[in-house]
Amino acid sequence: MSRVEKKAPSVCTDLPLNNAEVCEKLHLMKELLKSCYGPRGRLKHVRNNIGGRVTTSSASSVILPALYSSQPLLNLIKTSVLNHISRFSDCGLFAGVFCLSLLEQARRHELRESLAIKVNKHCLSLCTSYLQRDDCACRVKIDFSSSQNLMTLAGSIISSKPACLLTEAEKLHISTMAVRAFLQTIPCSSPGPVTLGQTVTVTVRGLPVLDSAMFPGLLVETHDDFNQTDSSSELLRTVLFSTSLAGDLAELGDGTIEADPNLDTDLQILDQLLELGKQLVEDEVRLCVCQKVIHPVLQQYLRSHGVVVMERLGMALMEPLGTLAGTQPVATLHARIPSTAYGRVKNLSTKQFGFKTMLHLQADGEAAVCTAVLCHRNETMLDELKVVWRKTEDVLRLTLKEPSALLGGGCTETHLSAYVKHKLSLLLQGQQEASETAAGLRCSPAEFLLGVKVFCRSLDMVARSLEHDGGSSAMDLNHAHHWTVSANASEEDMAGGLGLCGCGLVENSSTEWTFLNTEYAEFCPAPLLGDSCRKPTVLDSFTAKVNALQVAVETANLALDVRYVIKDVN
Amino acid sequence: MPPSERLPLEQVLEIVSALEAVVLRSFGPEGGQVLFTRDTGQAMLSRSGTCILSALHLEHPLARVVVESVWKHSRGTGDGSKTFILLLASLLRGISKATSRGPSASHAYGFTEAAKAAAAPYFANKLLELVSSDLDDLIAVNVVPYGFCVSLEDFTTHSGRLLLASFFHTRVSHVHCSYLSELTCEMLNRWKYKSDLPYISFQFLSDNFPALHTPVSGFPVSSSRLIEGQVIHRDFATPCLPSKQQPVKVVVFTDYMQPILLSTGDVLKLGYGGGVTPESSIVHFSAWTERSLESVIAELQSLGVSLLLSAVKQSDAAVALATQAHMSLVECVSEEELSLFVQLSGVTPVSRGCTIQLEHVAALSFCRPILLGGHRYVQVAFCESPKSSKVNPCSLVICGPGEGQTDQYICAIRDAVCMLMTTWEPKHTSETTASRGTLQSDKGTASLDMTPTFQSTANKPYGLKKCVFEPGCVIPAGGTFEFLLSRALPNPSSDTNGLPSVSQLLANALLSVPRQIYSHSPKLFLQAQTRIMSLVQNPSNPFSLGLKESTPGPMVDLGLESVTCKYQLILAVVQCATSVLRVDTVLHTRTALHTQSKKHTIFSRASTEDEAED
Repeated sequence: MSRVEKKAPSVCTDLPLNNAEVCEKLHLMKELLKSCYGPRGRLKHVRNNIGGRVTTSSASSVILPALYSSQPLLNLIKTSVLNHISRFSDCGLFAGVFCLSLLEQARRHELRESLAIKVNKHCLSLCTSYLQRDDCACRVKIDFSSSQNLMTLAGSIISSKPACLLTEAEKLHISTMAVRAFLQTIPCSSPGPVTLGQTVTVTVRGLPVLDSAMFPGLLVETHDDFNQTDSSSELLRTVLFSTSLAGDLAELGDGTIEADPNLDTDLQILDQLLELGKQLVEDEVRLCVCQKVIHPVLQQYLRSHGVVVMERLGMALMEPLGTLAGTQPVATLHARIPSTAYGRVKNLSTKQFGFKTMLHLQADGEAAVCTAVLCHRNETMLDELKVVWRKTEDVLRLTLKEPSALLGGGCTETHLSAYVKHKLSLLLQGQQEASETAAGLRCSPAEFLLGVKVFCRSLDMVARSLEHDGGSSAMDLNHAHHWTVSANASEEDMAGGLGLCGCGLVENSSTEWTFLNTEYAEFCPAPLLGDSCRKPTVLDSFTAKVNALQVAVETANLALDVRYVIKDVN
Repeated sequence: MPPSERLPLEQVLEIVSALEAVVLRSFGPEGGQVLFTRDTGQAMLSRSGTCILSALHLEHPLARVVVESVWKHSRGTGDGSKTFILLLASLLRGISKATSRGPSASHAYGFTEAAKAAAAPYFANKLLELVSSDLDDLIAVNVVPYGFCVSLEDFTTHSGRLLLASFFHTRVSHVHCSYLSELTCEMLNRWKYKSDLPYISFQFLSDNFPALHTPVSGFPVSSSRLIEGQVIHRDFATPCLPSKQQPVKVVVFTDYMQPILLSTGDVLKLGYGGGVTPESSIVHFSAWTERSLESVIAELQSLGVSLLLSAVKQSDAAVALATQAHMSLVECVSEEELSLFVQLSGVTPVSRGCTIQLEHVAALSFCRPILLGGHRYVQVAFCESPKSSKVNPCSLVICGPGEGQTDQYICAIRDAVCMLMTTWEPKHTSETTASRGTLQSDKGTASLDMTPTFQSTANKPYGLKKCVFEPGCVIPAGGTFEFLLSRALPNPSSDTNGLPSVSQLLANALLSVPRQIYSHSPKLFLQAQTRIMSLVQNPSNPFSLGLKESTPGPMVDLGLESVTCKYQLILAVVQCATSVLRVDTVLHTRTALHTQSKKHTIFSRASTEDEAED
């Protein structure tokens, strides 16, 4: 204890949501997230204060960690959204915008905090139970026998991030790749519990996006000049080492070793290593891979006997390589390597991508390991593409848990909002139940309706956030889908029809519209009848969105429940 | 002479009132949460009084003493930290009012500062005397008959849930109370030792709680659940091989499987005094360690073991050999988890150098990887064995949108178990109690002790006296306890000096609690008071009747609370008030690292040490 310092007393804020400064900050954050939302979202440059690299993105997973606020309430919301992203990858902006809208709307309508919490919770359970129902009109079943919906899902995610700067053809190329990679990692032959395979991503800067490709097996970057004549289609006996082959005996412990000056311990160890090498050659091993370092003499020895040597593979690639070769790594230096420890690799060849030379290893038989090579023109765009790729991968995997998707383009939000409004006004018409519900929440029916209005407005707000070019958002009064009206459209244009709705499922079906920021009489959103042969063109992940909805409401409820903020300033 | 600071009663009151103002925000049924950020930037949410107070980083030594007492109290009982501050503040307010108004007789002479200063410690001593001698009997006679005892069989039923729900109502957001209390009830049921006292299983849960829960952030709270068996918060070090064998045999290692040849400080001398023989080669030693590792693995294989749990990180060679022998290995298992595992499976861990025998092998019904949030853990479930057949081991998975929330829920559940432990604490029959009369309450569920002679306990510090109520004694919440006790306190108009009696002071302080509960509508306060008073007038209709029958009584919607916790709370508050009031001066000493006997000086009269140096 060299320096004793008094701790500064904490800074306290009473009733933070009534504080104008805090509200201003919440509003700012909402506007920021809103402007990033959707395929026409605005991009953000992220740069640190010492002039580090500039990142361009509109993804919440990039922007949110870069935001720093001294306001604990904002950080609370930020971490909630980030936690959601870390589990589900998708719908982070949705969760953020919805949560902040709930807070803002509750304040604007001067709703009591405790009441807002209860009504939010009530509306949320109504939404989640509706989304789980079979007759839910905004849910689409994913059929794994056709790739159509999977392609739409992947395409929606890729186009929702404009910072990738992809043309239509490039979007199609990447989404096809993503769906192919996803299908490749599902093993089809093994019965019983299925272990999903892995996709390893390699990025190459400076090549056109259309050069991106998917390969079965693994691509491992190599710096050694690899003799092309070695490439063969035959099976190669493979051994994996997880321990260092550099001659350091780390397992002996921390004690010191004193050796006779005449005794060369290094030489003894090297002899032992060469002994091991001799065994490998005798066992006709053709590929020797080590996670750590291989002694140069041993490398030289093995190479001279026609063994392909790869060292410093790293932990990350060991597992997929083990799966690919069908073997487990070896870590003993003295014992004879049992023949079961050898694996097999097929079709060794090299691939050239820009400045990168990679060794392509393929499995003998089916192994659910594949490699995606992502190319883009510059590093910033490549980074964004990588983020989007990972997100697409995760979302496609989530469909295995729950083979559904939700209509995109804001249609789910408007539909849910109309549904909640309709359901609860039905409840209020049957006065008996309504008074019970209201009494259960300890409020009057009028207060209850106000709470519902706040919830629905916030949902509509998310749908409205999709429009950034000065246009307005509308909803038809039949199916409650979301439509965008461009800024220069006249009344006649609207009467003549607005084309397709946000998700592309409804065309011009209704002539009755309402703008999303206006009052409208509640109505029952009609489900689409089977006669429509249209397929949705924009889909969102079901699992991610349902979770985002829940997380957003819970976080808003928490923020509403905070009465006092204590900030440690030490 | 170090600089000193007078500590008049007004200032003490000011400090405690400031603490009260912070705590009040989250007190009662309408209370909200307090968000605080640590110096590390980590955000925490809490409605727990202890957490809030300790986050304040208070500077004044007196405030620190108060917070420390709150902390000690709530660690013991798990409950009542906010009420603690509230009671303390109103008690001090009462004393301050009494002393400033002063005895009517002293008006003629002028009420001197010295007399005023002497009055406060006088009250404090009287109060301590009152509660340490009479309080338990007052409660036993006047409060307990209106409550009832919850037996553990009842726990799944209405009243157990209600007790937990009312506890969670004071600690977490309202919308999640019922969900959390269901979950906790379910957990307690599964962990119930059928033959033992409920106290034993609460004690076990409380001791092993760190190993029994997993926080998962990024999911809604409604995803929280119980899962079978125990979760080991580590991933497999080897690829998990699906084991077809049933049951799964497991061995626990506390040390390295591969012997460490040289520990720190050892010196290995090679090649001195002999030629280069095979024995003098370094390779020889390294080969020896590998061979002994192989023999351990072979031994395990012959016993049919397929899972290894290790407290330490094993060597690369051990991992690779285990993998090749089709064994799964889990490394770096924490001490707490390992000890729980050993208790539940009844296995003896393998330590350094001992040979593995049958007693080291435990059987599991399954062992599988489990994905919780972003982490992959290992879930193990135990086979039926004589030891574990009594309970159905399960682990708690607590989900929340962020870390702050999961921590809050975990804290609340831990404190709930602690509260239950206090409530069900077995009755200690005090040897000093000379005569005992057992009184059956009208429903026959609660038997209570009457101790007509209490002079022998009067001089004992309260810590020595253990719980005197029947285990599991509860009373309807919402101020019932406070109303009943304040009514029961003896009420002589004033003592000989013209000062108000201490029991009156305590009664007034007690009433401030329900007043605060109903602070949003004073009408409700009066209604509640009238209802309880009318029930007292008409003893044929105590609450217990309403509760026991299926028709809910008038107060049941307010929940239940534990009588023992309340009793200990009052004791702790009065003790804290006494220690605070006996201090009159704060000495600011300059010695930087003076650490000896802080506690002794701080409570002693006229010398309080500034604690700022720690």
